[in-house]
Amino acid sequence: MESLLASIGQYMFHIFGLMAVGGALALIFSKNAIHSIVGFLLSMLAVAGCYLTLSAEFLAVAQLLVYAGGIVVLFLFVVMLVEMTKYKEKGLFQIQAPYAVALVLAGAVAIISVFWRTWFAPDAAKALTLSPGLAQGLDVANQNAQAVSRGLFAQYLLPFEILSVILLVALVGAVVLAKTERV
Amino acid sequence: MPSMNAVLFISFLLFSVGVAGVLIRRNVLIILMCVELMLNAANLNLVAFARHSGTVAGQAFALLVMGLAAAEVTIGLALVVALYRKKDTIQVDQINLLKG
Repeated sequence: MESLLASIGQYMFHIFGLMAVGGALALIFSKNAIHSIVGFLLSMLAVAGCYLTLSAEFLAVAQLLVYAGGIVVLFLFVVMLVEMTKYKEKGLFQIQAPYAVALVLAGAVAIISVFWRTWFAPDAAKALTLSPGLAQGLDVANQNAQAVSRGLFAQYLLPFEILSVILLVALVGAVVLAKTERV
Repeated sequence: MPSMNAVLFISFLLFSVGVAGVLIRRNVLIILMCVELMLNAANLNLVAFARHSGTVAGQAFALLVMGLAAAEVTIGLALVVALYRKKDTIQVDQINLLKG
């Protein structure tokens, strides 16, 4: 039992990653917008799981709060607001869908060939392995929140403050855009 | 512990699914969700490289990207609501006001 759990734990990232990709595919291919949102939610939760296996606990919780708690609810509100069923959809996909899929597949083949070279080439470069380390005296893996806060509030304070201004602009802009016209 | 290649590959898959969704769907809500998907793929890469390098920069920037994604989706949804009031549709191929 113990060894079984250990061997499952080794592949936790792959399980979560495949769940994320599955949710993304459900998001693209489902006819109903609500089903798409459920696929999106599954994908975001699985990405949070991926962060956990990469020992970024703070980021995983933030992902849960921001995406599952905020953005998905926002999408649901808008779906309720716009009454998708009032107008018959002409079709799920754009006219240029075959060309788009061909383009994406071409790009995918290009990138996969790069992966192929790193995995199977005889003189394959040594694959990068993930290793924990120290950042300014803090163990990123074991003191994650402290390390992230030090990075955010000391090292990268300026981007953080700029982000706060961007959030304010987005707040005001959203209110102005979505408010109803008065007389 | 996942290998770097596995993380990069999953992130690549998520990104290409997002690109495909943006390019092929008509519904603007789905397109916005696919943009979020692409941002998440980039975040996954940032976290993986932060883990690899042992510093916290990648995680801090992933957090910043997350906040930016929240701002982006707020503005996008406000635009969708305004557009729906104006044009009564959220299908991108019927929004052709700029077409000559």
